[in-house]
Amino acid sequence: MLNPIMAFSATRRMRSFKTMLIVIVYVAALLILAIAFLSPFFNDVVYLSTMTRGPLCYLALLAGQFGLLILIAPAMTSASVAGERERQTLDLLLVTNTGSFRIVIGKVMESFAMLALLILCGLPVMSLCLLTGGVSLLHILIGELFLLAEAFACVSIGVFCSSVSRSTVFSGVISYLVILAIGVVTALPFLSGYPQRITDVVYDRAKYAALTAGEARAMISPLLYLNPGFGLMALIQGELHFFSSYAELKGWGRILCTWLMADRAGWIFIALACAAGMLVISAILLGLASLMIRKGTKTIKSN
Amino acid sequence: MLKIENLKKNYGSFPALKGLNLEIPDGALHGFVGPNGAGKTTTMRILATLMKPTSGTAFVDGTDVVKEGHKARKLVGYMPDFFGVYDSLKCWEYLDFYARCYRIGAAERKRMIRQLLELVQLEEKENEYVDALSRGMKQRLCLARSLIHDPKLLILDEPASGMDPRARAEMKGILRTLREMGKTVLISSHILPELAEMCDSLTILDHGQLVFSGNVDELSDKMNGNAPLDIRLTEGCGGEQVETAVRCLKEMPAVIEITQEEPFLLRIRLENGADVCEDVLRQLIMKGVPVCDFHRAPMNLEKVFMEVTQGA
Ligand SMILES: Nc1ncnc2c1ncn2[C@@H]1O[C@H](COP(=O)(O)OP(=O)(O)OP(=O)(O)O)[C@@H](O)[C@H]1O
Ligand SMILES: [Mg+2]
Repeated sequence: MLNPIMAFSATRRMRSFKTMLIVIVYVAALLILAIAFLSPFFNDVVYLSTMTRGPLCYLALLAGQFGLLILIAPAMTSASVAGERERQTLDLLLVTNTGSFRIVIGKVMESFAMLALLILCGLPVMSLCLLTGGVSLLHILIGELFLLAEAFACVSIGVFCSSVSRSTVFSGVISYLVILAIGVVTALPFLSGYPQRITDVVYDRAKYAALTAGEARAMISPLLYLNPGFGLMALIQGELHFFSSYAELKGWGRILCTWLMADRAGWIFIALACAAGMLVISAILLGLASLMIRKGTKTIKSN
Repeated sequence: MLKIENLKKNYGSFPALKGLNLEIPDGALHGFVGPNGAGKTTTMRILATLMKPTSGTAFVDGTDVVKEGHKARKLVGYMPDFFGVYDSLKCWEYLDFYARCYRIGAAERKRMIRQLLELVQLEEKENEYVDALSRGMKQRLCLARSLIHDPKLLILDEPASGMDPRARAEMKGILRTLREMGKTVLISSHILPELAEMCDSLTILDHGQLVFSGNVDELSDKMNGNAPLDIRLTEGCGGEQVETAVRCLKEMPAVIEITQEEPFLLRIRLENGADVCEDVLRQLIMKGVPVCDFHRAPMNLEKVFMEVTQGA
């Protein structure tokens, strides 16, 4: 049987005009972004001699959606469980035959469905990049998959935070903090000797050229596969070679070199591995959330 | 149907329940009374599997609510002392949602919702939004919700709070219908007389401890056996007569307390279980005290409640 929580929120959601508005605003924002980057205007302003407008537009849309999802998901999920607690309906749900995990999954799916709707509505805009060439259909499809995985992860984080919070506001705030923390912690390898090891190889053109995909993958720190930003960069680098022109730079160049390494490892592999990494994080958080959802329930005195 | 065994619950170091034992037979309408903070809600939340007890357990129809929570949830219907409702949902959708949560099939859901709306007299409100209902109506809708999966045991936490007298009467009617349907009902309240009126049996709880459990007549009997005796002397009989009476009563070991309520009205309290009324009267008459009225002060349930729950 269809998860009742999801079915029921769909009823409520489709009844509200807000849903329609969110979709329209989201698509409109993407459309503005696409038109801006496809127009000749940016070629004159930004130094991007190696890039055609197609890849630039792809980059903008992908990064734009990546950022929007991080902003929207916690706001959307903060009330999922904490709101039921505030409204005192959580107990009513917990005494039914729907187990904790099913409740959590229902909560995730009700928000994920909305985000997936947004991402899919953005697909026609994404395909505008195909017009000027330089971007393949494969790019767009992998990009979409990646965004869906990211949306799922953000929603899972939001629902997890909501299931441990007493209030909606608190839940929203810690969701953003958790997302930030995941981004920061998984980027820690950059602070170690890791970038040095990478640049040593990348700057040695002969070595770099001889590198096999397997060797390149082995050189990338495993923690980075849990970093969504890394996946995003791999997607943008892909066959578009966005970072190539900066590779010789010192400082930032050292970090950018990681993506040159990702280039060797295969951008599809990296993007999908990062997507899988996000799903692993989601699964762990959802398991925890279904344990916590009952713990956080305290008598809220009404008298 | 319901068997509570040595149930204990501590909130931190505060003991809210101190070893509660209780048994309720099939089909009983059982009242659960106690002052604020007695532990009624705590007990009910444990029975509804919303909380784990510190120790002890309870069985609903042989199912352990602590260990077999999933099974117990099918047997227990719970109505908390607040009503959580969602906005932008119609009455029937509200019930339908919870029916789905109990994994009830579509045809059965439809039948059940119609039946329940009829039971709580909300048929005309079927297509209205929940947040547009009055407080009493919401309460009745919540009652319908707790019945949606046809539970054997129904737990109602203060269902009559915030209801006007008419709604209370209707609630009583609904409870009677439920009893006819063969459900066992556990219902809590602060108001003993009201519960005594509609329940078969009662449990009085105070400070997490059971003070009394039994049927309503037993309770009044028990309390009346211990009620004070009022002794009225003939008006205007003189102070020395009253003094004689007091002296005489003081000599009797079974009398533990003497108060002079009015100039010619003495109220005495006898030792628990002492059966010495005739003796007291005979002694007084023999001493020449002009007794014109001699009777047990009637205890109403309000007083019983105060009496039972003080200093426990
Ligand atoms: N979540 C909690 N944390 C700490 N103490 C609690 C909690 N819930 C209840 N208590 C305490 O446990 C005791 C029993 O509370 P309970 O809610 O069971 O009483 P009650 O009989 O339902 O009272 P009322 O008539 O006011 O509803 C009270 O002293 C209360 O302060
Ligand atoms: Mg209570």
